Amino acid sequence: MKRFDCMSKLAARLSDELVILSLGASVDEWYNAAPHMREASLFQQQLGCVTPQAFGLACGLPERQIVSLDTDGGLLFNLGILATLGNEQPKNLFVVVWDNEQYQSIGGPKTHTASGRVDLAGIARASGIDHAYTATTLEEFDAHCEAGLKSDTPYVVVAKVAGTVQPEIKRKHSDGREDKYIFVRHVEKTEGITIMGPSEHN
Amino acid sequence: MQQSAVEAVIRGLKRAGVTLVCYLPDSLFKELYPALDADPDIRTIQVTNEGEGAAICGGVFLSGQRAALVMENSGLRASVEPLARMGLGAGIPVVMLMSYRGDMGENNWWAVPHGTTMEPVLKALRIPYVVEREEERIEQAIVDAYELAYSSYYHTAVALSGSFVR
Repeated sequence: MKRFDCMSKLAARLSDELVILSLGASVDEWYNAAPHMREASLFQQQLGCVTPQAFGLACGLPERQIVSLDTDGGLLFNLGILATLGNEQPKNLFVVVWDNEQYQSIGGPKTHTASGRVDLAGIARASGIDHAYTATTLEEFDAHCEAGLKSDTPYVVVAKVAGTVQPEIKRKHSDGREDKYIFVRHVEKTEGITIMGPSEHN
Repeated sequence: MQQSAVEAVIRGLKRAGVTLVCYLPDSLFKELYPALDADPDIRTIQVTNEGEGAAICGGVFLSGQRAALVMENSGLRASVEPLARMGLGAGIPVVMLMSYRGDMGENNWWAVPHGTTMEPVLKALRIPYVVEREEERIEQAIVDAYELAYSSYYHTAVALSGSFVR
Protein backbone atom coordinates (compact mmCIF):
# COMPACT_ATOMS: atom_id res chain seq x y z
CA MET A 1 0.00 0.00 0.00
CA LYS A 2 1.40 3.36 -1.03
CA ARG A 3 1.07 6.37 1.27
CA PHE A 4 0.32 8.67 -1.64
CA ASP A 5 -2.62 6.54 -2.71
CA CYS A 6 -3.95 6.57 0.85
CA MET A 7 -3.55 10.33 0.97
CA SER A 8 -5.52 10.68 -2.26
CA LYS A 9 -8.36 8.65 -0.74
CA LEU A 10 -8.37 10.72 2.44
CA ALA A 11 -8.08 13.99 0.55
CA ALA A 12 -11.21 13.20 -1.44
CA ARG A 13 -13.14 13.08 1.84
CA LEU A 14 -11.89 16.41 3.21
CA SER A 15 -13.25 19.92 2.73
CA ASP A 16 -13.42 22.11 5.83
CA GLU A 17 -11.31 20.00 8.22
CA LEU A 18 -7.97 21.16 9.63
CA VAL A 19 -4.90 18.94 9.30
CA ILE A 20 -1.68 18.76 11.34
CA LEU A 21 0.96 16.62 9.70
CA SER A 22 4.39 15.22 10.23
CA LEU A 23 7.70 16.15 8.70
CA GLY A 24 9.56 14.52 5.81
CA ALA A 25 8.52 13.46 2.37
CA SER A 26 4.95 12.98 3.51
CA VAL A 27 4.59 16.77 3.66
CA ASP A 28 5.18 17.21 -0.04
CA GLU A 29 3.11 14.14 -0.82
CA TRP A 30 0.23 15.57 1.17
CA TYR A 31 0.34 18.96 -0.50
CA ASN A 32 0.31 17.20 -3.87
CA ALA A 33 -2.41 14.72 -2.93
CA ALA A 34 -4.60 17.39 -1.28
CA PRO A 35 -3.93 20.76 -2.96
CA HIS A 36 -7.35 21.99 -1.85
CA MET A 37 -6.23 21.51 1.78
CA ARG A 38 -2.97 23.49 1.44
CA GLU A 39 -4.03 26.41 3.65
CA ALA A 40 -5.83 24.09 6.07
CA SER A 41 -2.77 21.92 6.68
CA LEU A 42 0.19 22.65 8.94
CA PHE A 43 3.24 20.47 9.13
CA GLN A 44 5.18 20.12 12.37
CA GLN A 45 8.86 19.36 12.36
CA GLN A 46 9.19 17.65 15.72
CA LEU A 47 8.73 13.95 16.38
CA GLY A 48 6.10 13.45 19.06
CA CYS A 49 4.39 16.80 18.50
CA VAL A 50 1.94 16.13 15.68
CA THR A 51 -0.90 14.39 17.46
CA PRO A 52 -0.52 16.48 20.65
CA GLN A 53 -0.75 19.65 18.60
CA ALA A 54 -3.73 18.32 16.65
CA PHE A 55 -5.36 17.47 19.98
CA GLY A 56 -4.76 21.00 21.26
CA LEU A 57 -6.38 22.35 18.12
CA ALA A 58 -9.30 19.96 18.60
CA CYS A 59 -9.74 21.22 22.17
CA GLY A 60 -9.76 24.84 21.03
CA LEU A 61 -12.13 24.25 18.12
CA PRO A 62 -14.54 21.60 19.40
CA GLU A 63 -16.97 22.08 16.50
CA ARG A 64 -14.29 21.53 13.85
CA GLN A 65 -13.06 18.15 12.66
CA ILE A 66 -9.29 17.86 13.12
CA VAL A 67 -7.07 15.35 11.37
CA SER A 68 -3.62 14.33 12.59
CA LEU A 69 -1.29 12.78 10.03
CA ASP A 70 1.30 11.26 12.31
CA THR A 71 3.97 8.62 11.68
CA ASP A 72 5.35 5.52 13.36
CA GLY A 73 8.53 7.36 14.33
CA GLY A 74 6.58 10.36 15.57
CA LEU A 75 4.07 8.41 17.62
CA LEU A 76 6.76 6.18 19.13
CA PHE A 77 8.53 9.35 20.29
CA ASN A 78 5.62 10.15 22.61
CA LEU A 79 3.32 7.17 23.13
CA GLY A 80 1.95 9.04 26.15
CA ILE A 81 -0.33 11.08 23.93
CA LEU A 82 -2.37 7.91 23.33
CA ALA A 83 -3.04 7.67 27.07
CA THR A 84 -3.95 11.34 27.14
CA LEU A 85 -6.40 10.85 24.27
CA GLY A 86 -7.75 7.72 25.95
CA ASN A 87 -8.59 9.74 29.03
CA GLU A 88 -9.75 12.92 27.32
CA GLN A 89 -11.84 11.26 24.57
CA PRO A 90 -11.93 14.17 22.09
CA LYS A 91 -14.99 14.02 19.84
CA ASN A 92 -13.39 15.65 16.81
CA LEU A 93 -9.97 14.08 16.31
CA PHE A 94 -9.10 11.55 13.62
CA VAL A 95 -5.53 10.25 13.80
CA VAL A 96 -3.80 8.61 10.84
CA VAL A 97 -0.43 7.02 11.48
CA TRP A 98 1.67 6.44 8.37
CA ASP A 99 3.60 3.37 9.47
CA ASN A 100 6.36 2.71 6.94
CA GLU A 101 8.54 1.06 9.63
CA GLN A 102 11.36 3.50 9.01
CA TYR A 103 12.74 6.98 9.59
CA GLN A 104 12.28 7.83 5.96
CA SER A 105 13.40 11.45 5.98
CA ILE A 106 16.93 10.54 7.05
CA GLY A 107 17.32 7.68 4.60
CA GLY A 108 15.30 4.84 6.01
CA PRO A 109 16.76 3.36 9.21
CA LYS A 110 14.15 1.09 10.79
CA THR A 111 11.79 2.09 13.57
CA HIS A 112 10.58 -0.26 16.30
CA THR A 113 7.56 -1.29 14.24
CA ALA A 114 9.83 -2.98 11.68
CA SER A 115 10.33 -5.96 14.00
CA GLY A 116 6.70 -6.94 13.58
CA ARG A 117 6.33 -7.20 17.35
CA VAL A 118 5.22 -3.63 18.08
CA ASP A 119 1.56 -2.95 17.31
CA LEU A 120 0.71 0.76 17.46
CA ALA A 121 -3.03 0.22 17.08
CA GLY A 122 -2.87 -2.33 19.91
CA ILE A 123 -1.05 0.18 22.10
CA ALA A 124 -3.72 2.77 21.26
CA ARG A 125 -6.54 0.37 22.20
CA ALA A 126 -4.82 -0.53 25.43
CA SER A 127 -4.54 3.19 26.14
CA GLY A 128 -8.30 3.63 26.08
CA ILE A 129 -8.86 4.48 22.41
CA ASP A 130 -11.50 1.91 21.52
CA HIS A 131 -11.47 2.71 17.82
CA ALA A 132 -7.89 1.97 16.82
CA TYR A 133 -7.20 -0.17 13.80
CA THR A 134 -4.49 -1.28 11.40
CA ALA A 135 -5.12 -0.95 7.66
CA THR A 136 -3.13 -2.94 5.13
CA THR A 137 -5.21 -2.35 2.00
CA LEU A 138 -6.44 0.82 0.34
CA GLU A 139 -10.04 -0.31 0.72
CA GLU A 140 -9.61 -0.85 4.46
CA PHE A 141 -7.90 2.52 4.84
CA ASP A 142 -10.64 4.34 2.96
CA ALA A 143 -13.33 2.68 5.07
CA HIS A 144 -11.53 3.80 8.23
CA CYS A 145 -11.32 7.35 6.88
CA GLU A 146 -15.06 7.37 6.34
CA ALA A 147 -15.72 6.05 9.85
CA GLY A 148 -13.00 8.07 11.55
CA LEU A 149 -14.12 11.41 10.17
CA LYS A 150 -17.63 10.78 11.49
CA SER A 151 -16.66 9.31 14.83
CA ASP A 152 -17.52 11.17 18.03
CA THR A 153 -14.78 9.39 19.95
CA PRO A 154 -11.06 9.44 19.09
CA TYR A 155 -10.29 7.22 16.12
CA VAL A 156 -6.85 5.97 15.13
CA VAL A 157 -5.93 4.15 11.94
CA VAL A 158 -2.40 2.85 11.50
CA ALA A 159 -1.75 2.60 7.77
CA LYS A 160 0.95 0.08 6.94
CA VAL A 161 2.53 1.75 3.92
CA ALA A 162 5.56 1.11 1.74
CA GLY A 163 8.72 3.07 2.37
CA THR A 164 8.61 4.69 -1.03
CA VAL A 165 8.02 8.30 -1.98
CA GLN A 166 5.75 9.27 -4.83
CA PRO A 167 8.01 10.28 -7.73
CA GLU A 168 7.95 13.73 -9.30
CA ILE A 169 6.02 15.47 -6.59
CA LYS A 170 6.41 19.22 -6.23
CA ARG A 171 8.39 20.37 -3.19
CA LYS A 172 6.97 23.11 -1.04
CA HIS A 173 9.11 26.23 -0.71
CA SER A 174 7.78 27.65 2.55
CA ASP A 175 9.38 27.36 5.98
CA GLY A 176 7.71 26.71 9.32
CA ARG A 177 7.06 30.36 9.98
CA GLU A 178 5.36 31.04 6.65
CA ASP A 179 3.36 27.83 7.00
CA LYS A 180 2.13 28.96 10.40
CA TYR A 181 0.92 32.31 9.05
CA ILE A 182 -0.85 30.61 6.14
CA PHE A 183 -2.56 28.20 8.51
CA VAL A 184 -3.49 30.78 11.15
CA ARG A 185 -4.98 33.15 8.54
CA HIS A 186 -7.01 30.24 7.17
CA VAL A 187 -8.34 29.37 10.63
CA GLU A 188 -9.15 33.03 11.27
CA LYS A 189 -11.01 33.34 7.97
CA THR A 190 -12.99 30.14 8.24
CA GLU A 191 -13.80 30.48 11.95
CA GLY A 192 -14.41 34.23 11.90
CA ILE A 193 -11.97 34.76 14.75
CA THR A 194 -8.75 36.67 15.41
CA ILE A 195 -5.67 34.71 16.45
CA MET A 196 -2.85 37.05 15.50
CA GLY A 197 -4.43 40.48 15.68
CA PRO A 198 -3.21 44.06 15.32
CA SER A 199 -0.78 45.73 17.72
CA GLU A 200 -1.91 48.42 20.13
CA HIS A 201 -1.47 52.10 19.15
CA ASN A 202 0.66 53.36 21.99
CA MET B 1 1.37 26.37 48.04
CA GLN B 2 -0.67 28.87 49.99
CA GLN B 3 -4.34 29.25 49.11
CA SER B 4 -4.00 32.97 48.49
CA ALA B 5 -1.22 32.27 45.97
CA VAL B 6 -3.37 29.65 44.25
CA GLU B 7 -6.09 32.26 43.90
CA ALA B 8 -3.64 34.82 42.55
CA VAL B 9 -2.48 32.40 39.86
CA ILE B 10 -6.02 31.67 38.78
CA ARG B 11 -6.90 35.39 38.75
CA GLY B 12 -3.87 36.01 36.54
CA LEU B 13 -4.72 33.20 34.14
CA LYS B 14 -8.30 34.43 33.81
CA ARG B 15 -7.26 38.05 33.27
CA ALA B 16 -4.93 36.80 30.54
CA GLY B 17 -7.82 34.99 28.86
CA VAL B 18 -6.62 31.45 29.50
CA THR B 19 -9.25 28.76 28.93
CA LEU B 20 -7.09 25.62 28.99
CA VAL B 21 -4.24 24.45 31.19
CA CYS B 22 -1.96 21.49 30.50
CA TYR B 23 -0.11 20.21 33.52
CA LEU B 24 2.04 17.48 34.94
CA PRO B 25 1.51 17.63 38.70
CA ASP B 26 4.36 18.50 41.03
CA SER B 27 4.79 18.96 44.74
CA LEU B 28 5.22 22.72 45.17
CA PHE B 29 2.08 23.52 43.17
CA LYS B 30 0.18 20.61 44.76
CA GLU B 31 -2.76 22.77 45.83
CA LEU B 32 -2.95 24.56 42.48
CA TYR B 33 -3.87 21.55 40.35
CA PRO B 34 -7.14 20.55 42.05
CA ALA B 35 -8.12 24.22 42.15
CA LEU B 36 -7.61 24.45 38.39
CA ASP B 37 -9.50 21.18 37.90
CA ALA B 38 -12.41 22.58 39.89
CA ASP B 39 -12.58 25.92 38.09
CA PRO B 40 -15.52 25.96 35.67
CA ASP B 41 -13.88 28.49 33.34
CA ILE B 42 -10.66 26.54 32.76
CA ARG B 43 -10.31 23.14 31.12
CA THR B 44 -7.43 21.12 32.48
CA ILE B 45 -5.57 18.37 30.66
CA GLN B 46 -3.14 16.22 32.57
CA VAL B 47 -0.32 15.11 30.29
CA THR B 48 2.26 12.36 30.42
CA ASN B 49 5.26 14.64 30.00
CA GLU B 50 5.76 18.37 29.75
CA GLY B 51 6.90 18.27 26.12
CA GLU B 52 3.53 16.77 25.21
CA GLY B 53 1.90 19.57 27.19
CA ALA B 54 3.90 22.18 25.28
CA ALA B 55 2.75 20.71 21.97
CA ILE B 56 -0.89 20.65 23.07
CA CYS B 57 -0.58 24.29 24.15
CA GLY B 58 0.84 25.08 20.71
CA GLY B 59 -2.21 23.51 19.12
CA VAL B 60 -4.49 25.53 21.37
CA PHE B 61 -2.71 28.70 20.23
CA LEU B 62 -3.53 27.79 16.63
CA SER B 63 -7.21 27.55 17.57
CA GLY B 64 -7.35 31.11 18.87
CA GLN B 65 -7.81 30.12 22.50
CA ARG B 66 -5.19 30.69 25.19
CA ALA B 67 -3.42 27.92 27.05
CA ALA B 68 -0.89 27.64 29.86
CA LEU B 69 1.67 24.96 30.60
CA VAL B 70 1.92 24.50 34.37
CA MET B 71 4.72 22.36 35.79
CA GLU B 72 7.77 22.02 37.97
CA ASN B 73 10.84 23.69 36.46
CA SER B 74 12.31 20.24 35.71
CA GLY B 75 9.57 20.07 33.09
CA LEU B 76 11.29 22.81 31.19
CA ARG B 77 14.10 20.37 30.43
CA ALA B 78 11.59 17.80 29.18
CA SER B 79 10.03 20.46 26.93
CA VAL B 80 13.13 21.91 25.30
CA GLU B 81 12.86 20.18 21.93
CA PRO B 82 9.20 20.95 21.20
CA LEU B 83 9.68 24.48 22.55
CA ALA B 84 12.66 25.05 20.27
CA ARG B 85 10.90 23.67 17.23
CA MET B 86 7.62 25.50 17.79
CA GLY B 87 9.08 28.76 19.05
CA LEU B 88 12.26 29.21 17.06
CA GLY B 89 11.08 27.27 14.00
CA ALA B 90 7.52 28.44 13.57
CA GLY B 91 6.72 31.27 15.98
CA ILE B 92 4.12 29.30 17.92
CA PRO B 93 4.19 30.58 21.52
CA VAL B 94 3.73 28.66 24.77
CA VAL B 95 3.35 30.47 28.08
CA MET B 96 4.75 28.53 31.03
CA LEU B 97 4.11 28.79 34.73
CA MET B 98 6.58 26.75 36.73
CA SER B 99 7.50 26.08 40.30
CA TYR B 100 11.10 26.98 41.04
CA ARG B 101 12.77 23.99 42.64
CA GLY B 102 16.41 24.43 43.52
CA ASP B 103 16.08 28.08 44.52
CA MET B 104 17.41 29.44 47.80
CA GLY B 105 15.72 27.46 50.55
CA GLU B 106 15.67 24.18 48.62
CA ASN B 107 15.64 21.26 51.04
CA ASN B 108 15.93 18.29 48.66
CA TRP B 109 19.18 17.23 47.01
CA TRP B 110 17.46 15.94 43.89
CA ALA B 111 15.84 19.29 43.24
CA VAL B 112 19.07 21.27 43.29
CA PRO B 113 19.84 20.53 39.59
CA HIS B 114 16.43 21.97 38.64
CA GLY B 115 17.64 25.28 39.97
CA THR B 116 21.05 24.87 38.38
CA THR B 117 19.60 24.41 34.92
CA MET B 118 16.39 26.48 34.80
CA GLU B 119 17.72 29.92 34.03
CA PRO B 120 20.52 28.77 31.67
CA VAL B 121 17.97 26.69 29.70
CA LEU B 122 15.56 29.63 29.49
CA LYS B 123 18.41 31.85 28.35
CA ALA B 124 19.62 29.29 25.80
CA LEU B 125 16.14 29.29 24.28
CA ARG B 126 16.00 33.11 24.61
CA ILE B 127 12.75 32.83 26.53
CA PRO B 128 11.90 35.99 28.48
CA TYR B 129 11.05 35.11 32.09
CA VAL B 130 10.52 36.47 35.55
CA VAL B 131 11.04 34.83 38.92
CA GLU B 132 8.41 35.98 41.38
CA ARG B 133 8.96 35.56 45.11
CA GLU B 134 6.31 38.02 46.28
CA GLU B 135 2.71 36.90 46.20
CA GLU B 136 1.29 40.30 45.28
CA ARG B 137 3.22 40.22 42.01
CA ILE B 138 1.94 36.87 40.73
CA GLU B 139 -1.25 38.00 39.02
CA GLN B 140 0.31 40.82 37.02
CA ALA B 141 3.35 38.73 36.12
CA ILE B 142 1.08 36.18 34.46
CA VAL B 143 -0.85 38.86 32.57
CA ASP B 144 2.41 40.45 31.42
CA ALA B 145 3.76 37.08 30.25
CA TYR B 146 0.78 36.73 27.90
CA GLU B 147 1.09 40.29 26.64
CA LEU B 148 4.67 39.70 25.59
CA ALA B 149 4.06 36.20 24.22
CA TYR B 150 1.28 37.52 21.99
CA SER B 151 3.37 40.48 20.81
CA SER B 152 6.49 38.43 20.11
CA TYR B 153 4.77 35.18 19.15
CA TYR B 154 7.36 33.51 21.28
CA HIS B 155 7.39 31.70 24.59
CA THR B 156 7.47 33.43 27.96
CA ALA B 157 7.78 31.97 31.44
CA VAL B 158 6.90 32.82 35.02
CA ALA B 159 8.72 30.93 37.76
CA LEU B 160 7.26 31.04 41.28
CA SER B 161 9.45 30.70 44.33
CA GLY B 162 9.64 32.01 47.88
CA SER B 163 7.59 31.25 50.93
CA PHE B 164 4.18 31.07 49.24
CA VAL B 165 5.08 27.88 47.36
CA ARG B 166 6.93 26.14 50.21
